[in-house]
Amino acid sequence: MKKLKLVSTVLMVAFLLLLSACGTTKTGGEKKTLRVVTDAAYAPFEYQDKGEVVGFDIDFVKAVIKEAGYGVKVEHVGWDPIFVEIEKKTADLAVSSITITPERLESYDFTVPYFLSKNEILVPKGSSIKSAKDLEGKRIAVQNGTTGQTIVEKLFGKNNEKLKKFENNNLAILELKKGGVDAVVADNTVVETYVKNNPKDNFEFIEDDGAFEKEFYGLLLPKGSKLKADLDKAVNKVLDNGTYEKLYEKWFNTKPDIKVLKDQQ
Amino acid sequence: MDFRWDLIWEYAPLFLKGTLVTIGLSVAGIVFGSVLGLFIGLGKMMRKKLWALPFNWYINCFRGTPLMVQILLIHFAVVPVFLGTTNAIVAAILALSLNSAAYVAEIFRAGIQSIDKGQMEAARSLGMTHGQAMRFVILPQAIKRMIPPLGNEFIVLIKDSSLAALIAAPELMYWGRAMQGQYMRPWEPYLTAAVIYLVLTLSLNFLLNRIERRLATE
Repeated sequence: MKKLKLVSTVLMVAFLLLLSACGTTKTGGEKKTLRVVTDAAYAPFEYQDKGEVVGFDIDFVKAVIKEAGYGVKVEHVGWDPIFVEIEKKTADLAVSSITITPERLESYDFTVPYFLSKNEILVPKGSSIKSAKDLEGKRIAVQNGTTGQTIVEKLFGKNNEKLKKFENNNLAILELKKGGVDAVVADNTVVETYVKNNPKDNFEFIEDDGAFEKEFYGLLLPKGSKLKADLDKAVNKVLDNGTYEKLYEKWFNTKPDIKVLKDQQ
Repeated sequence: MDFRWDLIWEYAPLFLKGTLVTIGLSVAGIVFGSVLGLFIGLGKMMRKKLWALPFNWYINCFRGTPLMVQILLIHFAVVPVFLGTTNAIVAAILALSLNSAAYVAEIFRAGIQSIDKGQMEAARSLGMTHGQAMRFVILPQAIKRMIPPLGNEFIVLIKDSSLAALIAAPELMYWGRAMQGQYMRPWEPYLTAAVIYLVLTLSLNFLLNRIERRLATE
């Protein structure tokens, strides 16, 4: 009986310590640490290099938070959990190539845009698909919950039979490789990186600026977050002082179009 | 917290369609899995060790690897070899059947081996052949004992069919995830899916209880 009491006391103390540990990360004074969540499966934006989360987004968010005067801790939680963590405010912000959309703005806040992106079509070389219009009646794979899905649904009806939604772009592309679909619609960086890295697959990418609008990524925040003002200011600073350009060149080997981002604000 | 019933209402027809696919996948998995499972269970019980070996390894492989891996392998590697293209429904049914067959085989074996040896000896001494003794004496008793673990396996199968969402088979979980992906809200889609799964498993439970009661001898 005594032993049981001891065990339960120890457990209780451990539990309380854990609780207070959770508490201190949230409160604290000026130099508080922000918990950033991400879905590290989207190279080169965010991915795991031997267990460590790296990528353009990660470098960028670290620069921004440093600029804003906070500490930073990045954690990989997966795509769907990001939105739960932000909604429940268990994380302070999320970075994961998250496009700013009106639907998402209903439930969340975003910082000012920090990245320009658009969708592209991935098809086997010699495919009859030459533009977004040619996708009509074709079987298309997308990643569930991405803007690629939104665009295809806008063009060919919501939840139509020919649209297959996968957990991630890798599975969608694998489906294309195995002949299950005729095309994949995904972000340009993903599509172009894939074509470049896998020449043996004989895939090509198709741009259609008329059908696929420009998209902007933002840092995701809980609705009404007090951090927004601070982070907006910091994002602009990082855009202006050359840090952004340096990071962009490091990860993508080209120069960014900062003016488009600024115009969008 | 605001709970948006209108979103559920909007997705209701798709949830219904998904539920039908889920039921289809589960029923197909249960039927094919049981038939294949009986065959494999009998195979594993063969007296010649060498003949029983492949059946033994079938069970080891399908019981010893995650269903999620099996679904991905079958969808992207096995089915394209035979059909020339991927087919999510075929792959899901194949994976669920092959997986549940491994478990059903063991349930079947356990059921038969739980019947006292004396039953077989008595039946044989009455002049029945081994086959007759199996059919009229051993199996009727064994099946009664197999129903609770079989029911367990079928319920697991219904729930595991949700993994087919991974390969874009349009079942219940797939539409739940699609809804989640569109509105970025966790409660409405997943709670709806959970309630529907619960209704499905409870119905099966009810059915199994009735069968069990009908077969009761006392």
